[in-house]
Amino acid sequence: MNVEIKGSPSFAYLDVDLAPGESLIAEADAMATMAADLDMHARFNGGFFSGLCKKLLGGESLFINEFTNRKSENRRITLAQSNPGDVAAMQLQGNKLCLQPGAFIACSPKVKLGLQWAGFVSGISREGFFRLSAGGEGMLWFGAYGGLIEKVIDGEYIVDTAHLVAYEPQLKLKLQMAGGIFSSFFGGEGLVTRIEGNGKVWIQTRSVPGLVGWLNPKLF
Amino acid sequence: MNVEFIHRPGNAAARLTLAENESVVAEGGAMISMSDNIEITTSTQQKAKGGFIKGLKRALVGESFFLNHFKALQPDAEVIVSTTLSGDMTTLELEGNRIIVQSGSFVACEESVDMDLGWQGFKSLFSKEGLFWLNLSGAGRVVINSFGAIYPIAVNGEYIVDTGHIVAFDETLNFQLSKAGKSWVSSILGGEGLVCRFNGTGTVWCQSHNITAFGRSLGPQLKPIKS
Repeated sequence: MNVEIKGSPSFAYLDVDLAPGESLIAEADAMATMAADLDMHARFNGGFFSGLCKKLLGGESLFINEFTNRKSENRRITLAQSNPGDVAAMQLQGNKLCLQPGAFIACSPKVKLGLQWAGFVSGISREGFFRLSAGGEGMLWFGAYGGLIEKVIDGEYIVDTAHLVAYEPQLKLKLQMAGGIFSSFFGGEGLVTRIEGNGKVWIQTRSVPGLVGWLNPKLF
Repeated sequence: MNVEFIHRPGNAAARLTLAENESVVAEGGAMISMSDNIEITTSTQQKAKGGFIKGLKRALVGESFFLNHFKALQPDAEVIVSTTLSGDMTTLELEGNRIIVQSGSFVACEESVDMDLGWQGFKSLFSKEGLFWLNLSGAGRVVINSFGAIYPIAVNGEYIVDTGHIVAFDETLNFQLSKAGKSWVSSILGGEGLVCRFNGTGTVWCQSHNITAFGRSLGPQLKPIKS
């Protein structure tokens, strides 16, 4: 499988060349264009129950698509996420990565997608009560609204709510006020997420709630 | 006309440089800046081609009713054009061939290009593209825009483009709506639903992102409009 991320950082998309016999798992509706003789097959995201949980609780789709090349030559498929923004790739080798709702785009077939309880803190901080966790072995692609900042955390780090995209599972999330009571409520930051531990996080430079908050007062 | 793109692919704009007496036709509202040695005339038509009816037809497809003609009075005049949505831009070269452009993607063209409305049948209703398309013919350069990056695909045989991702295609190509997977059930459950199946030989220009999908992620969070 040969994958290229193009159009970064504003409108990143994935050009995937599948060799004969290879497959790719992709989020529902992520396909933009593909060779006509690729096989597309929709299946539950995990089993039926787990898929349903992912849809209702994790903000992911009930179904995912599996694209398989059954021809004797390479075939191309192009994938994009719904939000304009950057895409990151990660190689999983038994380690896990937690993804925020909607971040998942595609993975190679041996990657396992599961749902985990993320905790009340995550829910209240608008990051979702549940989180998608990707494990197993293979490549994983996920995306964000805006650019992506990759950050290695050693100790503590603070991220504004709705800006967290992905993080390694050993990190702990806590909710807190950005500053004192006054600066938290009048400084425009409100609540923030405090991340503790050692590991990597991915942060998006824009947030959909931020855009919505800017648009809404202009609609009448 | 010389075309140079800046800030691709996120917030692309096209810098058009014109020789003396050269003209360019642009969609109403596309100009963001220009040098002062340019004369603008606004009309509902391309010069000496069609007229009011063509303007009406254009308004019907979601393009602007008016077209602006930028004519350079001196050498080295420049016009910078762009669009409302962020995204990419590219040029198409016409040499007597015909290209069909999704209405709304047209930005500007040389005056030697002929523009008319086309009809691709009722399938357009379901393809999340406009019902009408712009048929461009003649010779010259055309500037088009997209939501997301634009990438060309050389089709020889069959190729699948998801609905809402078509920007333009050679007239030598044809498309049909069809299911994305092997079965309808799989296509609908997989969230792809209908796709456009292109066949023939030629190029289709696609946009990487889908404005409907972005709208769907924003829409539910926007407050309802008071009537």
